[in-house]
Amino acid sequence: METFIKDYDKILKKQRALETNDPLDRLIAVVNEAKEKIQNGPESVNASLATLSKAIKTVSNGISEEQKELQSALTKYSKAIDKKFVADMMGTINPHAFDNKEKILRNTIAMHFIRQGNFEVGDAFAKEAGLTIPDAMRHQFVEMFDIHAALKENNLEPALLWATRHRSELEKRPSTLEFKLHRQRYLQLLQNKQTQEAIVYARKNFGYFGERHTQEILRLMGCIAYMDRIETSPYADLITPSFSDDIQHMFTRDFCSLIGLPCESPLYVSVTVGTQALPTINKMVAIMKAKKTEWSQQSELPVEINLTDNTKFHSIFACPVSKEQATEENPPMMMVCGHVICKESLVKLGRGNANQRFKCPYCPTESMISQAKNVFF
Amino acid sequence: MNKINHDQLLSLEHPFVKIPVEKFRSSLRTSQKHIEKEIAMLTDKVTEISKKSVQGSMDPKQVEAALEAIVTRLSTLKRKLKDTRADEALYSQRTKVRLQHLQEFTSISTLDSDDFARWSRTRLNRIVIDYMLRDGFRETAALLAKNEHIEDLVDIELFTQSTKVEQALMRQSCTECLQWCKENNSNLKKLKSTLEFSLREQEFIELVRERRPQEAIAYAKKYLTPWQETHMKEISHVMGLLAFQPDTKCFPYKRLYDKARWNDLIAQFRSNSFALQFFTPEPLLNVTLQAGLTALKTMMCYQHEHRNINCPVCDPETLGALAVDLPMSQHLNSSIVCRLSGQIMNEDNLPMALPNGYVYSYNALTEMASLNNGKITCPRTGAVFDISQMKKVFIS
Repeated sequence: METFIKDYDKILKKQRALETNDPLDRLIAVVNEAKEKIQNGPESVNASLATLSKAIKTVSNGISEEQKELQSALTKYSKAIDKKFVADMMGTINPHAFDNKEKILRNTIAMHFIRQGNFEVGDAFAKEAGLTIPDAMRHQFVEMFDIHAALKENNLEPALLWATRHRSELEKRPSTLEFKLHRQRYLQLLQNKQTQEAIVYARKNFGYFGERHTQEILRLMGCIAYMDRIETSPYADLITPSFSDDIQHMFTRDFCSLIGLPCESPLYVSVTVGTQALPTINKMVAIMKAKKTEWSQQSELPVEINLTDNTKFHSIFACPVSKEQATEENPPMMMVCGHVICKESLVKLGRGNANQRFKCPYCPTESMISQAKNVFF
Repeated sequence: MNKINHDQLLSLEHPFVKIPVEKFRSSLRTSQKHIEKEIAMLTDKVTEISKKSVQGSMDPKQVEAALEAIVTRLSTLKRKLKDTRADEALYSQRTKVRLQHLQEFTSISTLDSDDFARWSRTRLNRIVIDYMLRDGFRETAALLAKNEHIEDLVDIELFTQSTKVEQALMRQSCTECLQWCKENNSNLKKLKSTLEFSLREQEFIELVRERRPQEAIAYAKKYLTPWQETHMKEISHVMGLLAFQPDTKCFPYKRLYDKARWNDLIAQFRSNSFALQFFTPEPLLNVTLQAGLTALKTMMCYQHEHRNINCPVCDPETLGALAVDLPMSQHLNSSIVCRLSGQIMNEDNLPMALPNGYVYSYNALTEMASLNNGKITCPRTGAVFDISQMKKVFIS
């Protein structure tokens, strides 16, 4: 990429040179010069005109050369782009997959902006595309971003109010957000050297969590003794700066989960995954094209696409013996040793006999079909 | 796994760099052509003046005046080229900005870094703006570009002209589009485009529809016959319309009279216009979204009990509906996701089976137990167990 940019800089330099030394200005100057000469010495008009002819020739040769050089450098560069950025990915698209679904796509886009907190763009798009964003949802995200903005500035109050209000729903998740917020507030007080206030705060607020977070509360109280040198104490982990980021993320996650929405924009997730998946799909399409098959018509791609851990949303169990994906009819079964294979493979290993002993393919333990247990991921 | 393969991801960015470079190149070519023409004229003029001066048919005063006229002419051209020069400056600079944007990307090394997330968000904004522009949502596109300070990364103004042409076609006027064809004649020829012929056909059809056969015939003589070498069959077809009423049921003629033909013209214009400017024929949003949904789609996404609210495909109202006609990705390897924490279960966070066969991650189960006196409640069945009852599961 670096040399690629350097090559472009050379072109840019040529263009700038041509821009500051405008060819037309150069021609005008030459003609003007001749004109002045004739004005001052009308008697040598023919000589002056002869000089002008020559001058025009020199200047225009120079201009043509510079222009040609720039043009051909640019043409070359444009071709280099085609090589560096492989263009054709249109084979990877099914142009009809989204037919008559424009509205769904547009709604998704509008929602994307609303849930990013970009209400101005979300509203503008809804208006221009004639969509309606449910008021309730809009209000929820306004609330979320207000609280989030406060958290960013280390103001925990709005988040605490919200968490307390939704205590029972959060506990069901189960989420420890409310406790984490109190903990953070308490540590803030301690770090501000308001030890008395911190203790008062702890007494007032930790009681409710006493049973669930006993160990943590003990540590939180214990750290008071080390407050003046906490960085080097066994309690150093309590004040890691990333904690503030974690709590912001935790809040967004819990807030979205409570209103039944994903914590990251689905459009963002899908497009980002798509950009990572495209090269693989591209390669596959090229191979399939050679075999004259159409990928978008099939129900399953003939290749596996690697996803990053944070974009894996479902448990996939592929039987290590048969390489088939588990289904309801062919569920994953755990043998006594803890190894899991699909039912069909299990039955084959046990030769269909419930009490036939056989060795697990992955460890020395002996198993029987009757001992295997259906597991649910 | 989380390392970025820059070359692969950059391959998507072909139009991103190609578009401004080609714009730069074409405005440069325009100004150069003018200047070359002007130089030729200048040389001729000066030769002529010299000749006349030598012959004595022009005195020095007249020579001066003639030279003055040349200067005026050059200055006029300079003014005329101002816009082209401005385009040159704009697109050469824009190319530079975009290359820098890509370079920024090549310095990011992992997919889970904040820098990557930030860069990806900008890319999404670019992709969404492209989608909006293609669908005519100009105002939002401009607003988003302005708010995000990415005006140089998107091609808003390149849609100005095409929007005008499309609007004209929607009003059933071919004039603007024909003008556009004339301006881009040589490039359209390279594309082997038949857009101009289709427009001529349409104008002819409208004349016949309005029962102006005389004019229609005159029009055909003037504008259709020049295409006879390549489009003889179409010409004879469309001439046949003269014999049929607009409400005919006869197939080829019914189709030619169909008003929906205007929409075909719009589509044809768009595809030509995109190709000329090096835009992808389909919006990048559709391309990336389809690839992404395909990669994410699993058998579980459409089964209620397996729904994960964080999975884009699991929402039947939005992206799930878009993914219906797309294939799924293949899976030859297992990856087990904890239903409690959403984390992947592996050697660092082992899968543990409860006595009822339900599997959760070690970390999530121990955390739950620590908050509930060692008790675990299976979220899917409601059954309660003791932490000591969980058993290691091995996924190979």
